[in-house]
Amino acid sequence: MLKMHKVRKSFRTDTIETHALRDFNLEVKEGEFIAVTGPSGSGKTTFLNIAGLLEAHSGGQYLLDGDDVSGLNDRQRSRLRNEKIGFIFQGFNLIPDLNLFDNIDVPLRYRGFKASERRRRIDKVLQQVGLAARAKYLPSQLSGGQQQRIAIARALAGEPRFLLADEPTGNLDSLMARQVMELLELVNDWGTTIVMVTHDPDLARRAERNIQIVDGQVADLEYHANPAALSA
Amino acid sequence: MLAYYMVLALRSLQRTPILSALMVAAIAVGVGAAMTTLTLNYMMSRNALAHKDDVLYAVQLDSWGPDESAEGPYQMPDQLSYRDAKALLRSDIPQRQVAMHRWGATLTRENSEQSPLQAEIRVSTRDFFPLFDIPFLYGNRWEQSADESPARQVVLSQAMNERLFNGDNSVGQPVNLNGEVFTVIGVLKHWNPSPKVYDLINGAFKDSEALYIPFGLHHQLQIYTWGNYDAWWNEIPKNYQDFLNSHLVWTQYWVELKDAEQKKAYEHFLTAYIKQQKAEGLYPRPLKFRLSRPSEWLRVNEVLADDDRMLGWLALAFLLVCVINATALLLVKFLRKAPEMGIRRALGASRNAVFSQHLIESGCIGLLGGIGGILLAIVGLARLRQLQMGSLDQIASMDWVMMSAAIVLALIASILAGLYPAWRISHSSSSAYLKTQ
Repeated sequence: MLKMHKVRKSFRTDTIETHALRDFNLEVKEGEFIAVTGPSGSGKTTFLNIAGLLEAHSGGQYLLDGDDVSGLNDRQRSRLRNEKIGFIFQGFNLIPDLNLFDNIDVPLRYRGFKASERRRRIDKVLQQVGLAARAKYLPSQLSGGQQQRIAIARALAGEPRFLLADEPTGNLDSLMARQVMELLELVNDWGTTIVMVTHDPDLARRAERNIQIVDGQVADLEYHANPAALSA
Repeated sequence: MLAYYMVLALRSLQRTPILSALMVAAIAVGVGAAMTTLTLNYMMSRNALAHKDDVLYAVQLDSWGPDESAEGPYQMPDQLSYRDAKALLRSDIPQRQVAMHRWGATLTRENSEQSPLQAEIRVSTRDFFPLFDIPFLYGNRWEQSADESPARQVVLSQAMNERLFNGDNSVGQPVNLNGEVFTVIGVLKHWNPSPKVYDLINGAFKDSEALYIPFGLHHQLQIYTWGNYDAWWNEIPKNYQDFLNSHLVWTQYWVELKDAEQKKAYEHFLTAYIKQQKAEGLYPRPLKFRLSRPSEWLRVNEVLADDDRMLGWLALAFLLVCVINATALLLVKFLRKAPEMGIRRALGASRNAVFSQHLIESGCIGLLGGIGGILLAIVGLARLRQLQMGSLDQIASMDWVMMSAAIVLALIASILAGLYPAWRISHSSSSAYLKTQ
């Protein structure tokens, strides 16, 4: 599903070159649920941005669904991002002046679906996240947990094979965090591959596999059977 | 996606009403100022005879004195003397030809209580009507004989016919000019070319005349011109016949020549005529004449002066300043939306999609600015009409062509203004905003 081999990412200013990822190797198989942990500034978000085709890597090889994405132009990367990848962010990132229906509609518009197909998909995902009755609400009229469920619905509407979640429960209280996590687990059960960045060891423990990033590299690979590593 | 982008644009405009209003105002003021000036220039540079530009010619003969050239176009007098005009009328080469001048008289209707009024009159040969393609509502022009011998016949403009006869068919009705009874033989359909290309010498933007009478009436009515006249020496006629035989130039002359061959033949005719005049001791300057098409005639008479052109460029420069202002405002507005664009990029929008969305938003601002610009231009033109006390009534008004041009100009201006801001937002780092939402 996702394979990174010796991926590098560096940011350069006039005087300093910072290596965010160095010889980054990772393989994620179809249907996996992976938790990515690591200290702040270790390169977790950079990894997500590269995996989500929001940023280009500086070197190495990145295969998404078996295709090397290195040489793709912006239009092709955007197309791939729209069709295969869904994003969930810590801050929900809903567009504040669009109602819930129109927020979920955004990626479907870029996909070029007809109105009837868009409506069918939006109704379906709203049902799945339990907010069908609030389609015309604005994001500001919802609780944090509800907003994140809408963000998940928006990510799912395009039926992506790969879901990238960056601290999806970071802004939620424990009850709402648990509800969101249960929803992600359900989505994973439907067959969607999920890579989730988190600082929360309890959440990481619920993932199928954990990886830790330190100084831009995958430090080790561990399964949740070894909780000691997660608290590092 | 176009409709989607337009909906997004309108939402975006509603979200920041003050900023949006400022941008619309910047475009509207620029377009309004530009269109006020450009409309005047456009109306002044119109050629009502464009459809006959390849066959009509204004005739100039260099009958001026030996010491210095005339001040008219091509350094020749812009009108002919009566005697030259009469001589040229004897040629049978042109398809049609017209000698004419401006006149005026007191007009009353026979057996009517209507007050007398002073009417603008054109004294002309009969070809005036077909040569300039003037349509008739009722009746027809006078016979050929009336160009030579007096016939008290008159053709009315549609407006005058409505004023005197309430628009009824007045053919056969009598009217009174300076106490002489004339019979109406025709009524024209509305015809009011502006600029008045057939007589630029007496006011390029005056209305067409209300009445038209035959050229053959000069002797009988002792008609003097009401238009401009000129002479190369201080010639004071002793009597009317002396006036007609003088070298004073006061007659406009146009010919219709169907092709190059006919034009060449007519040029031979003019050459021969001038040589004959020289043989009689007239035309002391080197042999020179000119046949000018309507478009040339408008140009050499500087209906659209260099000052007007300069004013047009200045107005466009002002529009450019407004565009730069709008660019700055758009940059502020678009960059405020960078977080939203980050989300849209993450959800699959390409840079091109983001660029297009914002350019369409700029276009929407331009559309609103264009409408505002039209309103401002209409106000500006009305103010100009007021200041000029009627002399610009014909040209200081917008037609649908200029209204369309205003919208196109506004769209171009707004898209130019939006190019850089749209490029900036489409190339901003999307990931930077996703984390900071």
